[in-house]
Amino acid sequence: MAERNPSDFEKEIDLRQDRRQWLKTSAVLLGASLLPPAAETSEAPPPAQSTPKAPPRHAHETRATARFFTPEQHAMVDELTETILPEDSRCGGAKAARVTDFIDKTLRETQDEEQKRTWREGLPLVDSMSRHYNGKSFVDASPEERVAILTVLSDNDRMTDLPEVRFFKDLKHLTIIGYYTSKVGIHDDLQYKGNRVLQEYTGCEDQGRAKT
Amino acid sequence: MTLDPEVDLSKTYDAVIVGSGAAGGMAAHVLTSKGMKVLLLEAGKKLDIEQELRSMEWPYDNANRGFLPPDSHSLNFNEYTIRRPPYGPGFEKSKHLYSYIGSSDYTKNIVVDERENPYSGTNYAWVRARCLGGKTNIWGRLALRLSDYDFKAKDRDGYGENWPISYSDIAPYYDKVDLYLGITGVKENLDYLPDSIFQRPTKLNCAELTLKQGLQKMGRVLTQYRAGVTSDGLKHNKYRTRCYGRGACSRKGGCDIHAAFDSPTGLIYPAMDTGNLTLRPNSTVREVTVDPATGKASGVRFIDSQTMKDYRVKARVVIVAASTLESARLLLLSKSRQHPNGLANSSGHLGHNFCEHVMGPGITGRAKDLVGKPPTLDDGRPGGFYLTRFRNLKEKHPNFIRGYGFEGGSGSTMFPRGTDARGFGAAFKEEVRRNHGAYIEMGGFGEVLSRYENHVDLDPVVKDKWGIPALRFHYKFGDNERKMCEDMKETAKEMFEAAGFEILHVSDRMLTEGWSIHELGTARMGNDPKTSVLNQFEQSHDVKNLFVVDGSAFVNASCQNPTWTIMALCWRSCDYLAEEMKKGNL
Repeated sequence: MAERNPSDFEKEIDLRQDRRQWLKTSAVLLGASLLPPAAETSEAPPPAQSTPKAPPRHAHETRATARFFTPEQHAMVDELTETILPEDSRCGGAKAARVTDFIDKTLRETQDEEQKRTWREGLPLVDSMSRHYNGKSFVDASPEERVAILTVLSDNDRMTDLPEVRFFKDLKHLTIIGYYTSKVGIHDDLQYKGNRVLQEYTGCEDQGRAKT
Repeated sequence: MTLDPEVDLSKTYDAVIVGSGAAGGMAAHVLTSKGMKVLLLEAGKKLDIEQELRSMEWPYDNANRGFLPPDSHSLNFNEYTIRRPPYGPGFEKSKHLYSYIGSSDYTKNIVVDERENPYSGTNYAWVRARCLGGKTNIWGRLALRLSDYDFKAKDRDGYGENWPISYSDIAPYYDKVDLYLGITGVKENLDYLPDSIFQRPTKLNCAELTLKQGLQKMGRVLTQYRAGVTSDGLKHNKYRTRCYGRGACSRKGGCDIHAAFDSPTGLIYPAMDTGNLTLRPNSTVREVTVDPATGKASGVRFIDSQTMKDYRVKARVVIVAASTLESARLLLLSKSRQHPNGLANSSGHLGHNFCEHVMGPGITGRAKDLVGKPPTLDDGRPGGFYLTRFRNLKEKHPNFIRGYGFEGGSGSTMFPRGTDARGFGAAFKEEVRRNHGAYIEMGGFGEVLSRYENHVDLDPVVKDKWGIPALRFHYKFGDNERKMCEDMKETAKEMFEAAGFEILHVSDRMLTEGWSIHELGTARMGNDPKTSVLNQFEQSHDVKNLFVVDGSAFVNASCQNPTWTIMALCWRSCDYLAEEMKKGNL
């Protein structure tokens, strides 16, 4: 099967059928990729530690903690999370909420090796998908092209035997947690009214919204 | 308030109380107010509770966004179903392992570490809080009365036993608890769910009001959450502030201004102010000791939970208030020549007739008229609504006996509902925003019948961190519970339909036994010493100076949440205890 154009996403995609193709092509492409290949990562130390002198990404993170993501992975996760919850006319999205930092911390500290493996394998797999379907890396893809890739995974989110599907589910889960517990999510987006002292709780009648 | 650094264990106290939760706190309050010198022993720590609760903390100011640290784990439904305590294989990686309630940074230090406190036998989600105040630090706050539909349930359907008391015996004590601790709610004049002396009620939000109106056509009652929370304040208590409706009450965790009742600020600190209460935390009681000459209780033996040193203390009266299952365990552990099967167990009913509330069936819906409306403050309340029992009141249901109620709520919460929808991207984000205030949900709480065969005993092998034999469960839901749960699902659906909600999810899956944290009945009261452990004053039939004042004393579970009844019964029993002591009968 030839590589597909973004317009092909109009048609039904058989993920199970297609992945044989893009796994094959990815084996070649990944040689040049900045992302560590899946096969090497399951037992290997975190890539973040093997990246020479990756500077602390943010000023406040001066602790000697090695980050989970390499700068390249961080950039990809930024685009992945922003694709899950993008900026819109009301407020910023996952990037503004610094969801990638939250995910990095979670993965750095978790005792769940399975979850770490899901991420180490998932990032290159999704990048391979992008190279297969879009002809470019996930980071280089346009927002529409990124949406197209994640739509394939979302539409097939019951195929949890596939590592890229498990990755998508955890990506979505952590993005939602990170975003809706952030200032952007709580205040700018949902405009949460609680967690402040009130003299009186206003119920339905007080809001003038009661149906009689 | 200061703790005695070295509690005097050489003197004989008027009473020693084991456990500092709702029951132990109430016993301490009542007895110290009568001038008795009381020693209160708590197995857990005295936590810096304000530091633990942090009710107003924003998630983004918390290192783990309010969730458990990554090195800890709290058990989930599947794990309770497929794994066996003490949860060895598969959990080694977690430094701490908590019950399902310990899933937030605000509850993890309230509940015990499961591995230090193993148990065995049938599945049971046993939630234990070992710290000053116990589970009252984080309780759900729904404070309901029982009625003669519960106390005299046998008269209505022939099942089980009646309580040795009627509503009229306990009503004055419910009043006392209402006035001393504060409760919010609305009068409904229901004979099966008597009103309390309510402070200012909370208000229903729009979806809840829609449901209430929908139910009126069906003759069913939805009322504001009756919460053990002071909404007007309590002039006699300097440790508690009135509810300011600040929000985030839906978050698991307690109330840092103590508008919600907790045993330390509601009962124990005021009791200490009388000068009659001595408190010793870190005291794991392992035996109620018995005077070999008289067979009466002489005091207790306990281990310092931290130093592991063994102590004994003497008291004229021993009051066990360690929680239903821990109290049964303690009495089963207290074997002696006079009491070979455990203390207060000549009936053989100790540990039996164990009952609770079944949970699981529930429903989630959406009020379509609220979708896309500007956000409102919906969780600035200690709870949403309570939908009262309607089964087996006037008519008899063909498939099951007894009843159930629903707890529910709706509207916006700090962490939005609806993020479990499929999809992602701009449309997903917009959907969450438009819908998160429009959800309404409720879940059933049904009476689990009291059955002799549902019981606990001591495991012959497994011991806890302190070398004390663990509890072993022989407990299962029965056919009546299963049929009741099927009905809950159907009625939940018909009621949401009547309200015109879009139904998103209906479940009839029963949660693991124990999930309600309403365990009851292991030392039931009764008039016949052959079939009950305690008399109507929660006094042992066998041992006159032994009282068991927690949920163990319940004869059946009813379907109403038990905390308020535990405290009202305890107050009544302690009044009796003080009188008997004065008369020299103990």
